[in-house]
Amino acid sequence: MNDTDVNTSICPRCDAENVRVLTTSPVPGGWTMYVCVTCVYSWRSTEPASATDPLTYPAEFKINPAEIPAIPAIPAVPPRRR
Amino acid sequence: MAYADLRDFLAALDREGQLLTYSEPVAPEPDIGAAARATANITDRGPALLFGNINGYEPGKGRVAINVVGSWPNHALLLGLDKDTSVKDQFFEFAGRWDAFPGPIVRREDAPWKEVTLTEDIDLFQLLPLFRLNTYDVGCYIDKAVVISRDPDDPDDFGKQNVGIYRIQVKDKDRLGIQPLAAHDLGLHLQHAEERGENLPVAIALGNEPVITTVGGMPLAYDRSEYEMAAAIQGAPYPITTAPVTGLDVPYGSEVVIEGEIIAGEREIEGPFGEFTGHYSGAKRQPVIRIHQVSHRRNPIFEHLYLGMPWTEMDYTLALNTSVPLYRQLKTAFPEVTAVNAMYTQGLLGIISVKQRFGGFAKAVGMRAMTLPHGLAYCKVLIMVDDDVDPFNLAQVMWALSVHYHPLHDTVTVPNLSVLALDPSSDPAGITHKVILDATTPIAPEERGHYSQVVGNPERTADWENIVKGLLK
Repeated sequence: MNDTDVNTSICPRCDAENVRVLTTSPVPGGWTMYVCVTCVYSWRSTEPASATDPLTYPAEFKINPAEIPAIPAIPAVPPRRR
Repeated sequence: MAYADLRDFLAALDREGQLLTYSEPVAPEPDIGAAARATANITDRGPALLFGNINGYEPGKGRVAINVVGSWPNHALLLGLDKDTSVKDQFFEFAGRWDAFPGPIVRREDAPWKEVTLTEDIDLFQLLPLFRLNTYDVGCYIDKAVVISRDPDDPDDFGKQNVGIYRIQVKDKDRLGIQPLAAHDLGLHLQHAEERGENLPVAIALGNEPVITTVGGMPLAYDRSEYEMAAAIQGAPYPITTAPVTGLDVPYGSEVVIEGEIIAGEREIEGPFGEFTGHYSGAKRQPVIRIHQVSHRRNPIFEHLYLGMPWTEMDYTLALNTSVPLYRQLKTAFPEVTAVNAMYTQGLLGIISVKQRFGGFAKAVGMRAMTLPHGLAYCKVLIMVDDDVDPFNLAQVMWALSVHYHPLHDTVTVPNLSVLALDPSSDPAGITHKVILDATTPIAPEERGHYSQVVGNPERTADWENIVKGLLK
């Protein structure tokens, strides 16, 4: 698969059009890693469609970007000591 | 028996026919995860896998070792035992060495991971062949490194310095996500740092000899040093080296040492990650690490752990280091306990053999197990068996359960106890009923059933076991 065939602009998990190149392979031309700035999902240009295709990414693993701030913080941030 | 480092252990595995070096080209995904999964699927005597030709990396430079302790023979070799040593014998050997705590440490400054230092333009993907392990993991993880931290309220206490294994999401070239739960020692260190308004310095040591990895996954008391336990388990002083930026004590023999800090007050989406429960973890907002320096050997080996639906490398790695602490802590209260097998999903299900003193005794021992430190998050199902039943022999355990256990008299259900939130049956997450299934033989004053005519071994059976073993060799 060539980089030109793979999704490089829409996050497969949260569908945000907020994707940037994370890094490229040490041997040039091997692969490119992409990361979603919104939900921190990352994928490699050489991965199967199960990891790269927003249309077929399973509903149970999808995330709505609007819901991210409400996801529980674990562990919770404790109050500062006085 | 002490291995100097990961390479020394891999060489030992190779000599014993327990290392498979794969030199053909592989894709980072899905090949490496699939190979580890496949090895666990087909045998419990499988080899470690070493990949040396990974797409995107120069052959021989980007290397991945996985499934390193992914079988009983490899676990026996970890302990320096014959690779055919039974699980039960490995358990008692491990338990015996536990008593040698605290073992000595030795400080050395000429660590091989000081060969190369990176302080600028750090990109972990250039250094390590990171890869997605399971299909719906959110990205690449580091899941077998030991993370070292100190208690900011008591930074000079060597015992409180923690060496633990935590899942680490590689979020960017030099930025990580980490999962220190509140109950973990690292969680306590982070809590103290955040209460003080400070970042928490951490060192992440990748690619180690197998004993510190085993101890790093062990439920030790808060003020007990993992290095001193590693020395006890390996029967030799444990070598450590001062990390250059943080001053933390890290293993001498590591492949890579990453230093940085957990940023106080920051939480960012992390996960899902396929976990040892056989289910993905979901996503949470979790702490973030900023990397400041990386020290490494030339051409480091990236060691990774396969985990997912049991059994996997994770189950072999954690089997006895979970069972032995429960055994030792339980035996303190009840010397009648003869063995503990807590190797099913890290002890969510456990089997305890005990010599009953009187009717109802085994049920009390089961209740005690649930209230031990590890029991607070595990021990959801406990099967109690007599002292002459080997808890590591499931055929014997199922026999005891089938003929000794009476559903009316031998079921103890304790409602609404704590359990790890990753247990997918817990509802709400972290709360569950727990149950004791008492499969011991009823004794006075609990006189019921018909157990007086047990079919024992014919005379000379023990002699014949040796004869047959000899003939089979």
